[in-house]
Amino acid sequence: MLLKISNLKARVAGKDILKGVDLEVKAGEVHAIMGPNGSGKSTLAQVLAGRQDYEVTGGTVTFEGRDLLSLPAEERARAGLFLGFQYPVEIPGVNNVYLLKAALNAKRKTAGLPEVDAYDFLALIKQKMKVMQMSESFLTRGVNEGFSGGEKKRNEVLQMLVLEPKLAILDETDSGLDIDALKIVSMGVNSLRDPARAVVLVTHYQRLLDYIVPDFVHVLSGGRILKSGDRSLALELEKRGYDWVQGAEVA
Amino acid sequence: MNVGAHPTPTAPLSPALRSFEAQWRARKPDSLATLRASAMARVLQLGLPTTRDESWRYTNLRHLALHGYVDAPTTPRHGLRPYASLSLVSGSQRAATVLMVNGHPALPTHMDAWYNGIEIHSLRDMARSDAGLIAAHLEPLSDADQARWALINAALFEDGLYLRISGKVTTPLIILHLLTADGAHNVAHPRVIIDAAPGASATIIEHYVEQGEDPPPLCNSATHIAAGADSHIEHYRVFATGAAATHIDSLTIRQDRNSHCKQFTIALGGGLVRNSLEARLDEPGAALDSFSLLVGHESRHVDCVNIVTHNAQRTRSRQTARAIASATSRVVFNSKVVVSAGSVGADSRQSCRGLLLSPKAEIDMRPQLEIHADEVKCAHGATVGRLDPDMLFYLLSRGLDRETAQTLLVFAFLADVLTDMSVASARAAIEAALIAQLPDSKLLQAFR
Repeated sequence: MLLKISNLKARVAGKDILKGVDLEVKAGEVHAIMGPNGSGKSTLAQVLAGRQDYEVTGGTVTFEGRDLLSLPAEERARAGLFLGFQYPVEIPGVNNVYLLKAALNAKRKTAGLPEVDAYDFLALIKQKMKVMQMSESFLTRGVNEGFSGGEKKRNEVLQMLVLEPKLAILDETDSGLDIDALKIVSMGVNSLRDPARAVVLVTHYQRLLDYIVPDFVHVLSGGRILKSGDRSLALELEKRGYDWVQGAEVA
Repeated sequence: MNVGAHPTPTAPLSPALRSFEAQWRARKPDSLATLRASAMARVLQLGLPTTRDESWRYTNLRHLALHGYVDAPTTPRHGLRPYASLSLVSGSQRAATVLMVNGHPALPTHMDAWYNGIEIHSLRDMARSDAGLIAAHLEPLSDADQARWALINAALFEDGLYLRISGKVTTPLIILHLLTADGAHNVAHPRVIIDAAPGASATIIEHYVEQGEDPPPLCNSATHIAAGADSHIEHYRVFATGAAATHIDSLTIRQDRNSHCKQFTIALGGGLVRNSLEARLDEPGAALDSFSLLVGHESRHVDCVNIVTHNAQRTRSRQTARAIASATSRVVFNSKVVVSAGSVGADSRQSCRGLLLSPKAEIDMRPQLEIHADEVKCAHGATVGRLDPDMLFYLLSRGLDRETAQTLLVFAFLADVLTDMSVASARAAIEAALIAQLPDSKLLQAFR
């Protein structure tokens, strides 16, 4: 089991958001977590990535059998967990390439590997930039500095491709993308699909799942996973809305 | 000014001021004797600034005033270290360097040097041949409390540099100020005059370093820039002395029609650094871009005062200050923009940001405006805060360790000032020096 979440409860700014989430993700799988606004999707993603101001109040999370919640954010990343942010922050003055190189070297160090060769690294970045159709100017710019919403999301996926995480959690990576950008982003994510890796997509819309076909779909609402199913659940949700699931629980 | 009057002190003189007066009396009268006498008289009347003086509120010189001072030597006691180890600009970019030891230029005696459109003169020689010209550049712009040390400098400097820029000079000129003492309580009064002819352009870098086992002399430096019509001057002052150093620097700028000055103040070192900039935009179209990069670390104290006066129509000024303070250091940035009556269309902006890196550090930022004209555009803002938690989390989530992430963000915070530097190699050298002063510098070196 790559990721095992059991009865996870979390609180943000004194408010209970996650009220007992259970989820199991095996290597090779793609899971989609859907749900209405405020259901706790982003909170779940941030808690898994190790955001400090999100307080875990109960439950356990293991990642490859290790207690994930006891690790600081940077160690989770080095262990192979990656969060694609819903709102990637702009960091003027910190170059995109510096960040990527530092991130990759941090991961390599943990794995007992030497630092990446500068020449090889640039070749790697350029190859991944091609996949993501990013312009050369990216190399000289600050992290997400002046990027459009679409460029920021493509940058998230680019980072993911360079870091090759075991588990990628993509938080609304599709929001704010036009159809062309959505295709590029999906292609990037699909290129990482591999029997040794898993992807958790957090999304509002079924549309993304036309391009990245998930093995499982879960509906998160009110801080709990109310329903799980296969791809057809997403299609059903699109037709019937989230009220259908919420109503089903009450009934 | 009350020329020739005998000084009548209003308060008991501090040992420091008494020693300055003694230095002044011991000097051989020169062609500037009248001006020097009136400067000394004025200082003796006013006394050294104290924290009761508005622009010195945050910087207490009491300890400094308790000692008497003697002139620092004109040459280093144990010879000079190799130039290369001191030079700020190296590598592929060419630059000329003029060495000043405690304010005394290491130029061949009685010989003017020429350098690609810059005439380099000893101030002493120049004062002999054209006392009127030098006197005109020495008149302090005001005798407000921040100018008192400049008056002391005017009374006591023995030599210095007079640079006349006549052409468009593309290679930067570095003035390497070497501060070195022989025994305790030395004082140096370096003085530089930069006189840019109409249409001229040049980049001048003043770099202060120290050498020797004794604590460096108290440095009371003063620089004046006269920017002629349509001239472009880029000026740097880089304070890179050690924790034992006390440095008071007064920079004055007077700008003529459509001149453009870009000024960088980089405070990386010194135990106590107090630097002032007093700029007067005297003719229409004059523009000033001032950048202050103030780094407080350990228990150091950095106090920067800018006063920019718009004296003509369509004048423009931008002030960008970035301050960081770690450990128990304190950084002060006071800036004031004055728009005098009739300066229609004046345009000024002050952007001051401070970053606190420790709970015991302190940053005080005060942008001020004083407007006496209509139809002007003046904006100012000041913020002091800590590292952005969203940015920090983003870097951590990519696997960077906390120290590296913090150091990167600190560096990024200061980048606003660095990116405007036109001299690439100076920028690289300043970056490297800056990084060395940041917490966890070793980690950051890996990024350069």
